[in-house]
Amino acid sequence: MNRIAWSRLAACAALAALAGQADAAGAARWRIDPARTRIAFAIDAVGYPRTQGTFDKFDGRIAIDFLEPEKSSVVFHVQSASVDVGSAAFGDYLRSPAFLDAAKHPTIDFISTSVEKVGDRAVRVTGELTLLGVTKPLTVEVAVDRPEGDKRLEFSASTRIDRLAFGMNSGFPLVSRDVDLTIKSAAAAL
Amino acid sequence: MTHQVFDAGTSFDLYQSHKSLGFAALALTVLRLLARLLQPAPVRAPGLDGRLARTVQASFYLLTLAAVAAGWLLVSSSPLPVPTRVFGLFVVPDVAAPDATLFGWSVFAHRVAAGAIAALFALHVAGALKHQWIDRDDTVRRMLPPLRRGP
Repeated sequence: MNRIAWSRLAACAALAALAGQADAAGAARWRIDPARTRIAFAIDAVGYPRTQGTFDKFDGRIAIDFLEPEKSSVVFHVQSASVDVGSAAFGDYLRSPAFLDAAKHPTIDFISTSVEKVGDRAVRVTGELTLLGVTKPLTVEVAVDRPEGDKRLEFSASTRIDRLAFGMNSGFPLVSRDVDLTIKSAAAAL
Repeated sequence: MTHQVFDAGTSFDLYQSHKSLGFAALALTVLRLLARLLQPAPVRAPGLDGRLARTVQASFYLLTLAAVAAGWLLVSSSPLPVPTRVFGLFVVPDVAAPDATLFGWSVFAHRVAAGAIAALFALHVAGALKHQWIDRDDTVRRMLPPLRRGP
């Protein structure tokens, strides 16, 4: 299912040591809890209920450096075939070449190129989204919350993408070009 | 069919069932018409009632065929290409290319035909009840299978 890869702990620890920082919060290992990670989307269509679904299989790597957030990175690979819209037949239709073309494009990928802190509890992640083999820039504001101090991290992000930009044209204009994405995740400190 | 009562997944499944039932209705209507051609109606009911009954029956056949035809055109000309699977067994080919204008007219025709069938159905049931409870004749009883007619 979902794999989490670790990175940057050694680098962070080394930098912290060099900077004379005793703050362990800047350099902590985080493991994403798949049970608390949800990658959801929604899309409107004329004369049809709002289609809402999730992608249930993905793997992601998040490296967070609180001391130097610009050194953080986010990588997500989502299995396009894992789309779940509450109906097997509807899911099959979305997996078909009309929409996700899962056989030809098994993954939807997001790879960050930069992360900047924009507030106490928010970061702006800039990166590239690859869908249907087309790569476009995507910037997302991510709310980051640390409810239990150093023990747990919660993120949530919402954004809207234009599916036409990626060549997903089926049904337009009856089916909207706008796809709302909502990602919620929680990570625990090791 | 167009009320937003169900979520998208359920709506999708209901539409697929609806299309399957539509083609089942087409098959049954064709079989029924063949049966009528091979074996005409036993009794030609007289008078105004008889003419009204025959008109309603002919309308049912025509409207059912029209509703199915409009439905087939609708799914064929839809800007969104969803394959028409009949009960998951086989795929029915499209009879038109995607065309927003044709799609719009097909949807309208499909709804008008469906509304007309519903109205005729109500009239038909009212007619049967009239014969049974007001005229108190044997019209309804004669339609029942021989075993159920009683002595």
